[in-house]
Amino acid sequence: MRLGVLIKVLLTLALGAALGLGATWAAVWHGAAFGGVVAGPWRAWPRAGARDRDPYAAAVLARTGEIPLDLAEGLVFYAETDSDDRALTAACVYRLRGPTPPARFWTLTATGADGHLIENPAGRYGFTSSEVLRDESGAFEIVLSSRARPGVWLPAPAGETFRLVLRLYDTPVAASAGALGPADMPAVIRESCA
Amino acid sequence: MSALDRALSLAPWLAATLMTAAIVHLASILLMPALAPRDAFARLETLAPRASLTPLAPARPGREIAPFGDPAMAVAICRYDLRDGPLRLRAELTGDDFVSFSFHARGAAIFYAMTDKAAFRGVIDVLVVTPQQLEALEAADPEDEIPAETRLVSPTLEGFVYMRSLAALPWQAEEAAARLRKVECAAEAL
Repeated sequence: MRLGVLIKVLLTLALGAALGLGATWAAVWHGAAFGGVVAGPWRAWPRAGARDRDPYAAAVLARTGEIPLDLAEGLVFYAETDSDDRALTAACVYRLRGPTPPARFWTLTATGADGHLIENPAGRYGFTSSEVLRDESGAFEIVLSSRARPGVWLPAPAGETFRLVLRLYDTPVAASAGALGPADMPAVIRESCA
Repeated sequence: MSALDRALSLAPWLAATLMTAAIVHLASILLMPALAPRDAFARLETLAPRASLTPLAPARPGREIAPFGDPAMAVAICRYDLRDGPLRLRAELTGDDFVSFSFHARGAAIFYAMTDKAAFRGVIDVLVVTPQQLEALEAADPEDEIPAETRLVSPTLEGFVYMRSLAALPWQAEEAAARLRKVECAAEAL
């Protein structure tokens, strides 16, 4: 009987530890999927760099080593999916179209799933707001594809999935990012897939 | 013993398992920043000497110091240890180009940040200090003069200043890097 209890205690501790660490792993290694501010396919963590950030954000940054932007510098939006919630993949062609929230400058970059840049023959990894043309309404258009395309073409990073990173520098929306909706951000429209 | 009795006798063990899981989860999340061997500070520590301006290569495939670096940014860092004395950061900024400075405590949280818009008459002049150094400075300040520099109290003795300078167009990369090379960053005697 006593041995039975001891086994149950050990089993409880082992199972509890495994579950707890499993939850930590899920939150820190795949944590990009929750929290923050959402606008269409875009997601931002405005407090990621701040001292009053939540412990999950701190843990994620400690693992990746990413150097966050402070709200005084700007705000970073990440997209892992298109506007219809399907994962971004180099097998498809995407059209990015629409406005960006007000900012002194912005840059748009395509990275691998882990946030690292991936070599492409064009040597092109992103665009800045000074490089793309915008219409009267302030909207722009960029085509994302693994093969060269006419127009403003951004090579899609090779690999199973990729991410888009939109950085707004010196932006008044940093303090009120929660008020942004899908219409304030560029839409990511999937056109065709190989 | 019926099946229900057996199930009920297991309930406290199940509860104990979930409690253990919750405690282990919270403890590991809270300890992550302290234990992570490859956080931003650890990476930069090996790249840059203390109290001197160190330009870093812009983010390019295969040679990035951290994920999600902006390839359009020229970057420089200045690592400090306030045991060497306060850190003086001085930058003369002309033009309307985006330059930003963020002050990171060890453990990677930012305790202050500013862009070129914060420059006073084209100059950014910052002194990073400990609370004790701030007291000593204030004691030595002349009565009716406002200090010309911005004094920032660092929550940790060690930290780094991360500087970004935007090349809005690809051929401005060298210009953007040159703006940061002119930044002065050095430990100062009290």
